[in-house]
Amino acid sequence: MEHVESHALNRTVTRYVTGVTPLAVLSVLLIAAFIMMNAAAQNSALFGRMYSVLLLVNILGVVLLIALILLNLFHFAEQYRARVVGTRLTLRLLVMFVVLAVVPVSVVFYFSIQALNRGIDNWFDVRIERALDDALLLGRTALDAQRQDLVKNAQEIAVELETLPVRQKSGALRSELSMLNALREQYNITELTLFTQDRQILASSSEANLEAGTLVPERPSDAVMVQVRQGLTYANLDAISKSGLRLRVVVPVQARNVSAPLRVLQVLQALPPRYAKLGESVQSAFAEYEKLVYLRGPLKFGFTLTLSLIALLTLLIAVWAAIFFARRLATPIRELAEATHAVAQGDYQKQIPVTSHDEIGILVESFNDMTRRIHRAQLQSKRSQQEAEIQRAYLETVLGHLSSGVLTFNQRLLLRTHNPAAGQILGTDLRAGERKPLGWLSEKYPELQPLIEAVEQAATAGQDEWQVQIQLSINNHRRTLMLRGTSLPSWREKRGGYVVVFDDITTLIQAQRDAAWGEVARRMAHEIKNPLTPIQLSAERIRHKYLRQVPEEERDALERATRTIIEQVDSLKSMVNDFSEYARSAQMHSRPVDVNDLIRDVIELYKNTRSTAKGVVPLHGASKAGKGKASRAITTRLDLDTDLPRIAADPGRLRQVLHNLLLNARDALAATPKPVIRLGTRMVGQDNHRFVEMTVQDNGPGFPEALLAHLYEPYVTHKEKGTGLGLAIVKRIVEEHGGTIRAYNLKEGGACVIIRLPVNAATGSAESAAVSKSARGEKKA
Amino acid sequence: MDFIMRDSARINRRRWAAAVLALACFGDASADFKVTDVQPKFVEQSLVLTGNLELGLNAKVEEALSKGIPLEVNIDVHLLRERRFLWDRKIASWTLHRRIQYHALSGQYLVSTAEPESETGESLLTLQEALKQLGSLNGVTLTLEEPVTPDAVHSVDVRVSLDIEALPTPLRPLAYTSFTWHLNSGWSTWKVTP
Repeated sequence: MEHVESHALNRTVTRYVTGVTPLAVLSVLLIAAFIMMNAAAQNSALFGRMYSVLLLVNILGVVLLIALILLNLFHFAEQYRARVVGTRLTLRLLVMFVVLAVVPVSVVFYFSIQALNRGIDNWFDVRIERALDDALLLGRTALDAQRQDLVKNAQEIAVELETLPVRQKSGALRSELSMLNALREQYNITELTLFTQDRQILASSSEANLEAGTLVPERPSDAVMVQVRQGLTYANLDAISKSGLRLRVVVPVQARNVSAPLRVLQVLQALPPRYAKLGESVQSAFAEYEKLVYLRGPLKFGFTLTLSLIALLTLLIAVWAAIFFARRLATPIRELAEATHAVAQGDYQKQIPVTSHDEIGILVESFNDMTRRIHRAQLQSKRSQQEAEIQRAYLETVLGHLSSGVLTFNQRLLLRTHNPAAGQILGTDLRAGERKPLGWLSEKYPELQPLIEAVEQAATAGQDEWQVQIQLSINNHRRTLMLRGTSLPSWREKRGGYVVVFDDITTLIQAQRDAAWGEVARRMAHEIKNPLTPIQLSAERIRHKYLRQVPEEERDALERATRTIIEQVDSLKSMVNDFSEYARSAQMHSRPVDVNDLIRDVIELYKNTRSTAKGVVPLHGASKAGKGKASRAITTRLDLDTDLPRIAADPGRLRQVLHNLLLNARDALAATPKPVIRLGTRMVGQDNHRFVEMTVQDNGPGFPEALLAHLYEPYVTHKEKGTGLGLAIVKRIVEEHGGTIRAYNLKEGGACVIIRLPVNAATGSAESAAVSKSARGEKKA
Repeated sequence: MDFIMRDSARINRRRWAAAVLALACFGDASADFKVTDVQPKFVEQSLVLTGNLELGLNAKVEEALSKGIPLEVNIDVHLLRERRFLWDRKIASWTLHRRIQYHALSGQYLVSTAEPESETGESLLTLQEALKQLGSLNGVTLTLEEPVTPDAVHSVDVRVSLDIEALPTPLRPLAYTSFTWHLNSGWSTWKVTP
């Protein structure tokens, strides 16, 4: 958060420091300040007192401007070092602008300084200086003559005043005053004053209009008094700031009496107006000229300083303007370059603000139009891609849930796609074979050779549509597949490959065969069973009627013959019953069945009275019993899954299944030294496809290889007394329950039959409840 | 204790002023403005100053004066009431402007004082006399707007300096940038006799 804030603050500071406004405002203010300073330098009354402040403000302003420009340049240098797009162009423009600004300003500055210095020097001329000096000297000489006259007059007046009696007290006497007045008028003096030695006024006479502001006559200074006391005459031209010039002469007035104190006479004579005016004019002109001569150096310094500052300001403003305009010119080009880079990186939504209507503006508009079009095209392509994806997913789903196997090959006969059903039917994982040629497939999966050959043949023949039935041996099972091939549509004169759809029709063929056999059995049973009863009855009748009639020696033969007929007819009847049993489509009486209980019940029937070990049930080897050999105990091992759910089944028929399988096993183990039958149950599959798997296996010789393909067909048997209907009936019952049966020989010897019966979800849950109920019942019992 | 502290503060201030002055008059040791003696006292509703300010000019300034450049001297006066636990309180302040100019025709120096009351002028033959006249305080009367507290101790701070702002415009940049033109006595404090 703080980082974000500080970042925002930095950006604000940068904007204020490098932006247009502060520099523009500062420049305008500085120009105004310089105008005022210039006015001040020319002795303008308005700005005269502000000159120093203005100078300081301007110097500070220029320093600030330099700092701002340096900051701008530093910022720019950083961008340049970071290789920000557009900085090179900006730099080139900047250098060009700066050179364009600096050179003329420098030239103008140099010549201005030269002209200024020469101009100021030209103000002063030695002749004028001498003329002014002479004028001053002339004025002084003229005033000196006036002064000499006044000194002479003063001394005469002093001599005349010597006659006045000496007194120490101040305050004028009438006689003194009238004398002074008379003398003043006589000599045409402005003011006459008589002082004591210690500057006390004895008497004074002055013109009425003389210095109207002061009633008391002006006393001479101490220095003057010292001079006068020594008997010397003081004469001087007094410059009075307001009332112009006047002559002052101070003379001692000796007393007739030697011991009497000295008196002092001060004579003030205002200069005649003409003299005063001329004198003042000469004085002021001389003073002004002297001042100018003295100020020549500082004046040059001041003007040079002002001019330098103005030149510096102009330069700085020019540099700043160069930075600003270079940046402004380069901005749209930079934006365009950045946007092009962004588009190259895949950002097609980039739009640049149009700030001008010149060629660059047109370029920017075209760029924006281009990106808009690209963006639209990209959106469209994305949409099409999505649609294709959806289509593909749809096809995959359809193919995935198709019971038929589907294989597609490209034009070079590489396996492209296959659906799950293909793998299930072929009993192989085809994923490894993707993008592999047919040759590789036939090496990797030799059992698929017939299928591969069929595809190759069809491709070689160039058939568009073909159909063929092939036989495969998968997991020791013979499978019949119906293949249908179609060539895919070609694209740009290229053949489009092939799609091969196949179905496992083994079951169908088997069902057809089973149906045919059932029909045969039914007819045979019907046809054979009908005459059997008359045959048996006739035989019994012959025996009953002729046994006592035939001679004694032949009676025995008849007896044996009729008995044989009856027995064989019985045997035939039983056989026919088996057939009819096989042929009959029995009514199912389904109810929940616990397969484990069922197995235990059936095993119980074969159980020996003596149990050898826990879970091991011996079975009587009965196959050879008829031939009088001792019956041997067959060990049965149970491996039952205790969590097995109940299934909906007909218990009677399932019992028959187990019975048939156990009898087959028992018969097969007749010659085995240590006969063992294993029975097992377990759950397989998941969700809605769960099965109870029942396994019956023995350690006998196994099924004869020749019979493996036709195990479930009637009359297929290798036993002396077998009807060949046992496994056929088992299969029929299993199929009636919706299950599957698989029989194969074990590698270590012996046969194995696996029966899978489906667990209906509803049945399963209902049955688990039933099981728990019965479990409770048992507990109660 | 308090007095000692205040005195030491005053001494420090003087030292500072002296240091500034020394720096200002780096080029010319003899040229200096000093407040040598001031005797302030209250007379009725006003403060009367009597004393002498020693105004020494260096060669540069003297040359400018002789070339007709008028010099203005400002005498700043602050009247303070001393307080026991706080800093001194400034009661009033005045600035006296005095001016000296060379009159070429008569070869005299004109000294004019614009004391609060009225402007008076005087022409003097020598520069020494003129500077003495310029720096003399002969009962300069400064009117107080409010009467002072009778029992309080009062002091006066005095400073005399050359007014650069009154110099002709072209001279001002030079005067500001050169120590020669910085003539300033710094503040000095004088007790007011009641």
